[in-house]
Amino acid sequence: MLLPASMRVFERGWLSANNILFIGGDDTTLVDTGYVTHAPQTLALVEHALQGRALERIVNTHLHSDHCGGNAALRHALGSRIAIPVFEADKVRVWDEDALSYRATGQQCPRFTFDETIAPGDFLTMGDLSWQALAAPGHDPHALLFWCAQQGILIAGDALWQNGFGVIFPELAGEPGFGEVRATLDLIASLEPRLVVPGHGAPFTDVDAALQRAYSRLDYLSFDPVRNAENSVKVLLKFLLIERRTMPLAEVENLFETVPLLVLARERFLPRSPAELARWTVQALEKAGAASLREDMLTDSS
Amino acid sequence: MVPATGLCEGCMRTIDEIVAWGRADDDYKRAVWAEIRRREARMFE
Repeated sequence: MLLPASMRVFERGWLSANNILFIGGDDTTLVDTGYVTHAPQTLALVEHALQGRALERIVNTHLHSDHCGGNAALRHALGSRIAIPVFEADKVRVWDEDALSYRATGQQCPRFTFDETIAPGDFLTMGDLSWQALAAPGHDPHALLFWCAQQGILIAGDALWQNGFGVIFPELAGEPGFGEVRATLDLIASLEPRLVVPGHGAPFTDVDAALQRAYSRLDYLSFDPVRNAENSVKVLLKFLLIERRTMPLAEVENLFETVPLLVLARERFLPRSPAELARWTVQALEKAGAASLREDMLTDSS
Repeated sequence: MVPATGLCEGCMRTIDEIVAWGRADDDYKRAVWAEIRRREARMFE
């Protein structure tokens, strides 16, 4: 078996990031808690796997809504401590929804508090194994990787998936992101992981092939920032569509007028009217088989 | 989860199956997939 006995991965759909549950002799830790609408199921999965043991700690790779949306509910139900990336502490303390990504993306995340912070370089014991936190900027400026050198296992969050990586959000706001993604991929390559547990999708061992796909994806996106903006609006709309399952075309147009990151992408990179951009994005999702449009209702499909 | 069936609304797996999935081999996953197809068929009968 690829995973150590103390480590379990809960893989669900794309809306909730993977949850990694560590059950050690002396510690129990959950890495990432999924999206808020799945929180009751996340709690059920964790309680089922823990069989009466307490969940002592929640750790987040980064604070996007699909990774920490269950933090509040799990803490409330299980009394777990919460540890977050250190550079997010001030924002979480005052729950600055503008600086956190929730308002900008139109996504939901219930307010939570934290007990500990994790800085790049820190070591954590999870499942009786030693894991080092490493900085993984790019998709999110303050994201962390967790690396277990002894096992050759990397918890990658959204820095590397089997096929790609998370949206390079900073570039939308005119902040650097492409160079950071490249540096993070270089870091992962230098670790030579045996197994990567990504934030979405199944754990994988063909890491070199995944890295090559990620580098070529990065080359494609960074060649022209318009490509990154187009990719971003597709992913943002798809996320909201998975959450809501179906919405009228008029609501899609409304999103392009009101969701700050969609507005920003349009104003900076994709100069056309909200209705035109809505129509273009819907067609792109249809073409990818990610949505279907019938009688002005857009419905999610996978 | 749907209380009446004990299945996840989205993937039609039980809590047991979702917990086991991450450590399971391909045979287990294929067997669950076959069961999912049967559940779907029953649901849409």
